[in-house]
Amino acid sequence: MSALVIFGLLTVLMLTGMPISIALGLTVLTFLFTMTSVPIEAVALKLFTGIEKFEIMAIPFFILAGNFLTHGGVAKRMINFASSMVGHWYGGLGLAGVIACALFAAVSGSSPATVVAIGAILLPAMVKAGFPKNFGAGVITTSGALGILIPPSIVMVMYAVATNSSVGALFMAGVIPGLMLAGFLGFTTFYRAKKFDYPRQPKATGAQRFKAFRDSVWGLLLIVVVMGGIYTGIFTPTEAAAMSAVYAFIVAVFVYKDMSLKDVPKVLLNSASMSAMLLYIITNAVMFSFILTNENIPQSLADWMLAQGMGAIVFLLIVNVLLLVAGNFMEPSSIVLIFAPILFPMAMKLGIDPIHFGIIMVVNMEVGMCHPPVGLNLYVASGITKMGITELTIAVWPWLLTMLVFLILVTYVPMISTWLPHMMGLM
Amino acid sequence: MKWLDRLEEIFITFLIAAATLVIFVAVVHRYASGLHLGAVQDWLLTIHMSWAQELCIILFVWMAKFGAAYGVRQGVHVGVDVLVNRLPADKRRIMIFVALGAGVLFTAIVAILGARMVWENGLAYVTLSTLGLDTGDHYEGPTTPDLEWPTWAVYLAVPLGSSLMCFRFIQVLMTFYKTGDLPHHDHGHVDGLDEVEPLEVQVGHKS
Repeated sequence: MSALVIFGLLTVLMLTGMPISIALGLTVLTFLFTMTSVPIEAVALKLFTGIEKFEIMAIPFFILAGNFLTHGGVAKRMINFASSMVGHWYGGLGLAGVIACALFAAVSGSSPATVVAIGAILLPAMVKAGFPKNFGAGVITTSGALGILIPPSIVMVMYAVATNSSVGALFMAGVIPGLMLAGFLGFTTFYRAKKFDYPRQPKATGAQRFKAFRDSVWGLLLIVVVMGGIYTGIFTPTEAAAMSAVYAFIVAVFVYKDMSLKDVPKVLLNSASMSAMLLYIITNAVMFSFILTNENIPQSLADWMLAQGMGAIVFLLIVNVLLLVAGNFMEPSSIVLIFAPILFPMAMKLGIDPIHFGIIMVVNMEVGMCHPPVGLNLYVASGITKMGITELTIAVWPWLLTMLVFLILVTYVPMISTWLPHMMGLM
Repeated sequence: MKWLDRLEEIFITFLIAAATLVIFVAVVHRYASGLHLGAVQDWLLTIHMSWAQELCIILFVWMAKFGAAYGVRQGVHVGVDVLVNRLPADKRRIMIFVALGAGVLFTAIVAILGARMVWENGLAYVTLSTLGLDTGDHYEGPTTPDLEWPTWAVYLAVPLGSSLMCFRFIQVLMTFYKTGDLPHHDHGHVDGLDEVEPLEVQVGHKS
């Protein structure tokens, strides 16, 4: 009963278009004032203590690191590197797009920014080289979403916070699925390019490749700083995030010289504002899940599900459908923060691995970024390609279908996600 | 109100920079003090950075509360706008008023709740005793574990930040009422794209 009231109220409030954080907060307050005996003081305290966890503080640091390197110059270097390696294959520039997107997205941490940065530079070049426009648009729109699967990933930190999982294990778990999905998208690109006989680029010389690698390696080392630091135990995930922010600052200002010192305050301000928005959602989502737990809702849902005799296979299918639908309305962070606390206890009762479940959620978020009506990647891609949403949706479908096939694979083959963290002794 | 805008921006810029620096220095210190550097090592070992995590959390919580207010006037807070954007203009206008009103309401309630919490957690005691008045039932309030700062001072971020956020929502509401404009944030903005030279490709080359 209270579950219905809570979710009903939340849905109505969200549909008015108010910020998701405010909708969550008002739902909690309304419920507290009218239906329960939880002291209101407990809520005021939660407003502060809700984000008083050191793990959460990785988020602002990763955003800051990403913003330092979200620059056209960095995107150009990664495209150069990728196209010098694979440009001579079928669909070479398209394949280079997949790789450049994967690299840039991992470093910048933002899918829409990846689509814009890589797309703005690569798409005109692809059109000039003789690729149809919708081919390039399809590649970039979908590959831009790779960033939330390849560590460091902010959405994974959100999941770790919402379910008390290990950030390090999640990051490690994302590596193989991330590379696999890039491979899948690359294969679709290659296959279609070969089928339609799209142009290829001349093969780059060893010297050109080395130069392109040397130019882009500074940005790529960010991933090494984070993953190496966490895995060897030199840093905690949050410390690794802070170190990567300092590293990104040094690379952007002193190595690449893409920005000067006087641009730094602006980057700091933008990062602070973006992090504050996410931290604000987290605060209110923490209150929301506090209420849910207090009312025993996730527990009773889990019991109900077991009583229906639902198994892991059916449950995961429902989870995927539910998340894909939610992906139509909300952006990844909010979905993870709202749904993880509800779905996680059920998944645990069915014996699903927490890390595997996290990867399933993250892959769902990726698919959600790329399909209408709300896929953010589609919108920004529409902006840079000057194509309509409908036209883009058609352009995207071969890759979107590839992602869905990959989603099914990741959902029902836990090994893909859990093998690497197991090998590394992280879980 | 220009001064308030500017102050808000400088404040949150400072907070994120300070937090980054604190953790950076703490990590460097942890490893540097393990090196055999003679007197320098002795000196490093006398410094304790165990409070760094706590300070970082406090800085970021303050950044979150004030940054959220800054975010309101930048239009950073995202909502579900699928339905609203399909409404006819006049109904859409009403929904936007409702949504902004909800922002005003929520932040105002939080500001009041937060202020009460801070008052009862030590601000009352401090105020009354400073003024030389009877402190009554009020107590000094707890302190934070590492830095031993009074928690009421730390929690002050909630009422102050939320009041500012409420004020920002009212500002946005007024502007929307007068001009029909809403702040809009571009989530896909990338700097330096204009400066980048186009990628060189070979045209129509087939093998």
